[in-house]
Amino acid sequence: MSIREYVSDVGTNWNWHGIKLVSALVYLSMILPLVVVVVNSFSSQRIATFPPEGLTLEWYVEFFRDEMFLSAVWVSTQVGIAAAILAGAIGTLTAMGFVRKPFPMKKALSIALLTPMIVPPVIVGVAATSFFTEIGLDRSIWWLIVMHTLLALPYAFLIVRSRLYLFDETLEDAAMTLGADRLVTFREITLPQIAPAIITAMVLSFVISFGEFTASQFWVQRETTTVPVVIYSMVRTTITPKVNVLATLVLVITMVVPVVGLAIQRWLTSDTS
Amino acid sequence: MSSETTSTTAETPDRIESIRQRLMESERFGYLLSPGSGLLWVLLFLFLPLTVIVTFSFFRAGEFGTIIYEPTLENYRRFVNGTVYQRVIGRSLLIGVVTTLIVLPFGYTLGYFLGRSKSRWTPLLLGLVVVQFWVPLVIRTYAWIPILGRQGIVNDFLLWLGVVSQPVEILYTTHGMILGLSVSILPFMVLPVYSIVSTIDEEIIQAAKTLGASDARAFREVTFPLSWPGIVSGILFTFILSAGSYLAPQLLGGTGDRLIAPVIETVFSQDFNWPFAATLSLVYVALIVGILYLFSRKADIEEALEGTQL
Repeated sequence: MSIREYVSDVGTNWNWHGIKLVSALVYLSMILPLVVVVVNSFSSQRIATFPPEGLTLEWYVEFFRDEMFLSAVWVSTQVGIAAAILAGAIGTLTAMGFVRKPFPMKKALSIALLTPMIVPPVIVGVAATSFFTEIGLDRSIWWLIVMHTLLALPYAFLIVRSRLYLFDETLEDAAMTLGADRLVTFREITLPQIAPAIITAMVLSFVISFGEFTASQFWVQRETTTVPVVIYSMVRTTITPKVNVLATLVLVITMVVPVVGLAIQRWLTSDTS
Repeated sequence: MSSETTSTTAETPDRIESIRQRLMESERFGYLLSPGSGLLWVLLFLFLPLTVIVTFSFFRAGEFGTIIYEPTLENYRRFVNGTVYQRVIGRSLLIGVVTTLIVLPFGYTLGYFLGRSKSRWTPLLLGLVVVQFWVPLVIRTYAWIPILGRQGIVNDFLLWLGVVSQPVEILYTTHGMILGLSVSILPFMVLPVYSIVSTIDEEIIQAAKTLGASDARAFREVTFPLSWPGIVSGILFTFILSAGSYLAPQLLGGTGDRLIAPVIETVFSQDFNWPFAATLSLVYVALIVGILYLFSRKADIEEALEGTQL
C-alpha cells in the first residue's frame, strides 16, 4: 500500500484506525514496564535508569550465589505445583458434581464457590491467619499450599465446568452398558476428554500461586519466603538490578510453564483423536 | 454402613476391594467428594475463618498483640465515631469507580479490536494480553517505579516534547497509583469484551448497515448492546480489584493514598490490633456484599465472574 493509498484509507476508515491507535497505546502501557524490567536486569549501574548506560551479566552471577533468592524460587515452585495438583483435582471433582448431579441451591452454591475471587486478598490473609492461629497451627508451607489452592479453586472449577457442559454423556452411558464400572468409565472415557481443560486449570493455578503476594505476606516465614514476597520487600527500599534479575527469571518461568502446558495439551489431544 | 467398615479384622485384598466397591456405590460419599470437596474447601478455609474474625471483632486488643476475650462493641464504636476509617473506605470505593471509568473505554477498545480484527497476528496479540495474567502482580506494579520517577521515561519524554520545563511528580502520587492500577487490571476488561465481540456475527452488523445505519449507529444499536455481558463482567472485576487493591497504593501511591487494603494490613501486622483489623475487614466485606447484591439485581453475578475465561 502506497503512502497516498494509506492516507486515503485513514480518511475513510478513520474509526478503525482510531481503534488501532488506542489499542497500540494500550499494548505500549502493558509491555513497556516489562521491557524495562528485563533490560534493567542487565544494567551496569547499581540504581538503574532506563535506558542503562552499560550492560553486564554480573547481577545474574550474583543472583545464583544468593541462597535466599534460590530458596524463594524453590519454595514458590513447590507450593505452586502442590496447589496446581490440589486445585486441579478438587476443581475437577467439584465441576463434575455441579454438571452431573442434581442437588438443591445449585446457583447459590456455585456463587459461594466463586467467592475467593471477590473477597480482597488482604482480608483472606487476615481471616486465615486469625483462624489458623486460633486453632493453634504453626506457620508452615502447608498454610501456603492450602490457601493458594483456595484462591486458585474458582478458576480451576470454571475452566473444567465449561468443558463439561460440552461433553457428550452418551459416550459414558455406552461404556457403562458395555460393562465398565464408574471408575473405569471415568479413566477411559471422561478423563481423556476433559484432560486438556484440567491441564489449563492446573497451569493457571500454578501461575496464580506463583504470583500471589497480598494474602501470602501474612503466612510466610524466613524459611518459607516466596518469590513475590522477596521482590516486594526489596523494592520497598531500592530497586537494584538484582531484583530485576529475579523478576526476569520469574517472567521466563511464567512464560515457560503455560507453554509446556500447551504442549502437553496438544500431545494429549493428538493422542486421543 | 460405616460400622461394618470399621469392624475390619484382616485386610485381605478381597476385603479392600469390597470396601472400594461399597464406597463407589455409596451415594453420600459420592456427593461428599463431588461436588462436596470444593465446597468444603471454601467452607473450611474461607467461610470459617471469616466467622472467626466475626467473633474477633467483638473482642479487644490487649498489650503486645494479645486478645482480651471479653465481649465489647469498642471496635465498632471506634469505626462509627472516628471519621478516619470511614474516609479510607470512601476513598477506596472512589478509586474503584475512577479506575473503572478509565479501564472501561481503553479495555473495551482493545477487546473490540481483537474481536473484530481479521489480521493473522490477532492470536499473537491476544496472547500478549493473556500473558499479562500470568506475570505476578508485584512485578507488573513495581515495574512502573523506574518509568514514572523524576528521571523516568515519562518525564524524559515530557521534557523532550517541551510540555513541561521541570520534571513532574507522578510517582508516589494518586495519578501514578491509578495509572499502574489501571494497566494491571486492563486484561480483566479486555478478555471478557473480546470473547463476546468475537462471537457477534458480522452479518448482523452488515445487515444494520445495509438498512441504512451509519457505522456509529450500527455500533451503538447492535454491537454495543450485544457486547453488554462482557462489559458487565469487566466492570465487576475492575471495581472489586481496584477498590481492594494493595500493591499499587503501597508501591506507587502517595502518603494520602491509604486505601482500605493497606490500612487493614497495617492495623493487623504493625499495630497488632487483630480485633480492629477484623472489624475493618468485616465492614468492608459487608459493603462489597451490598454492592454485589445491587449488582445482582441488574446482572447475573455467576455469569459475570465466568467472563474472564476464553
